[in-house]
Amino acid sequence: MWAVSLILGNMDIVPQLVVNSVIAGSLYALIAMSFNLVFGATRFFNLSHGVLGAVAAYTVFYVGITLKLPLVVAIIGGVVVGAAVGYGLERLIYRPLRKRGASSLVLLVASLGAFTAIEAVIAILFTSQFRTLSTLIGPTGSLNLGGGIMTYVQVAMFSSAVGVLILLWLLLSRTSFGRAVRAVSDDEEVAKIVGIDTNKIIGLIFIVGSAIAALAGIFAGIDTGIEPRMGFILLLKGVIAAIIGGMGSVYGGFLGAFILGFAENFGIWHISGEWKDAIAFVILLIFLLFRPQGILGKKRA
Amino acid sequence: MEYLVHLAVVFAIYAILAVSLQLIVGFTGLISLAHAAFYGVGAYSVALILENTGFGFFPALVLGILMSAIAAFLIGIVLSKFRDDYYALGSLGFTVIVFSIFLNWQELTRGPLGIPGINRPELFGFVFSENIVYLGLALVLLGLCYVFSTFVTKSSFGRALQAIREDEVALSVFGYHTSWFKLAVFVMGAGMAAIAGGLFASYITFIDPSSFGVPESVFMLSVIILGGLGSLRGAVIGALVLVLLPEALRFVGFTPDIAAQMRQVIYGLMLVFLMLYRPQGLAGTYRL
Repeated sequence: MWAVSLILGNMDIVPQLVVNSVIAGSLYALIAMSFNLVFGATRFFNLSHGVLGAVAAYTVFYVGITLKLPLVVAIIGGVVVGAAVGYGLERLIYRPLRKRGASSLVLLVASLGAFTAIEAVIAILFTSQFRTLSTLIGPTGSLNLGGGIMTYVQVAMFSSAVGVLILLWLLLSRTSFGRAVRAVSDDEEVAKIVGIDTNKIIGLIFIVGSAIAALAGIFAGIDTGIEPRMGFILLLKGVIAAIIGGMGSVYGGFLGAFILGFAENFGIWHISGEWKDAIAFVILLIFLLFRPQGILGKKRA
Repeated sequence: MEYLVHLAVVFAIYAILAVSLQLIVGFTGLISLAHAAFYGVGAYSVALILENTGFGFFPALVLGILMSAIAAFLIGIVLSKFRDDYYALGSLGFTVIVFSIFLNWQELTRGPLGIPGINRPELFGFVFSENIVYLGLALVLLGLCYVFSTFVTKSSFGRALQAIREDEVALSVFGYHTSWFKLAVFVMGAGMAAIAGGLFASYITFIDPSSFGVPESVFMLSVIILGGLGSLRGAVIGALVLVLLPEALRFVGFTPDIAAQMRQVIYGLMLVFLMLYRPQGLAGTYRL
């Protein structure tokens, strides 16, 4: 009986929990979809994916607050720099490794090194201090959704996640570039044989994927704030969402992100919020043990 | 001189971590990023036992090893079902979980404040308060871990580990329960990491969660990859190089905060360059 009253006694926060889950899910979805886009084509856990979000958020900080340029310029600058760094890593590290036939573990370790170095460079340039980007947009209003509050920034975040999902769907299913991406994801060797320039396609995937990760970092920065470690946190949540949804599946990433968002936020209903990360990993382990291919993933051969 | 002794103690602690991680990564082919967690379990166990009970350092160290081994056993039951990328990711997850326990279980660990005033070891009335004496203790423990690890790698058990590294499926066809071997080596490695943790706690006399997070695991991985996977000697060489190398930064005149970040830059770039140009490291026998 006490359990029931415990739950009912807290019912009034449920609308806010739902809204918070959607907000978290939107952020994770941006990372998970782009992570899966890159994973689908390259078949390795790119641990440097999340740090691009931090790079972008700090670019926005530099352009918008240090240089005092308009917000639009700062955001475009952030996305461009994020995409450029992602593409640079592909050209300088991952492509040469692929050419040498390196295993996915070698690529994983290399991306771990890249992420560690970039994160530290950010900390050197901007210190490890927590900063906020919200001064860039000033005070904004919010929506009241049946008792749950969602700021306009968060509404924009949710819209972007859905928008990116639709754009990626159009890109992958309706364009020749999308067909080439799917061919590379199915089998890089065969794609090469039928005349697809796989390096070019993978390069473009890195640009698109990194730009989406950059967008996620910028949203996270405006919504909560920035610190050098933010890229790692984005990455962890994105990868967990990607695995839950099914590795390599863009749509699975979207689905997994919202499942993770809800699980995390309802998981801390009765315990302290600091345990969110631990909850996320417990969910990851449950999936790895009982459904390693994720919800929409194909079984690995 | 005192400074050199200090570096030597730090080296010995990391050499223990590297040798024990080498068993898991270099000999069994499992990329574990959970080592910092067991290092932390050892450090916190020793610190808390010294603070809250009448036990001395050595009984506390034994209990710390046990705690770490039990934690590794429980974690390993899950982890041993995976391999390759998924093993790396799962072990990374455990480091995050254990780190958040250190940080959030404030009644026990005092959270971000850390535990100050940890005592130096005492044996039959003799206190290891001088750093040079402490160095002796650390080197003896390093020697024990090295000999134990050599014994493990030379045994039939060790040959089975290397077979798992080369082809786990083939070995399981021969009727080996490969997940038990993976679990066993994981527990051994965790026990030795706890020794390093206990040494660290009572040497620095202060611990907080920041020493046991993911960057620390990345550092340990850089050490053994630089030294060379599949070589215990390489692990020790890697620890020596990577403990000494960043000390040069001290003399360039960086502030401590920047120097710490510069270290991360160096470790990160080093991993990238090793993967690109010398994936077998300095003295390695095995490539990822």
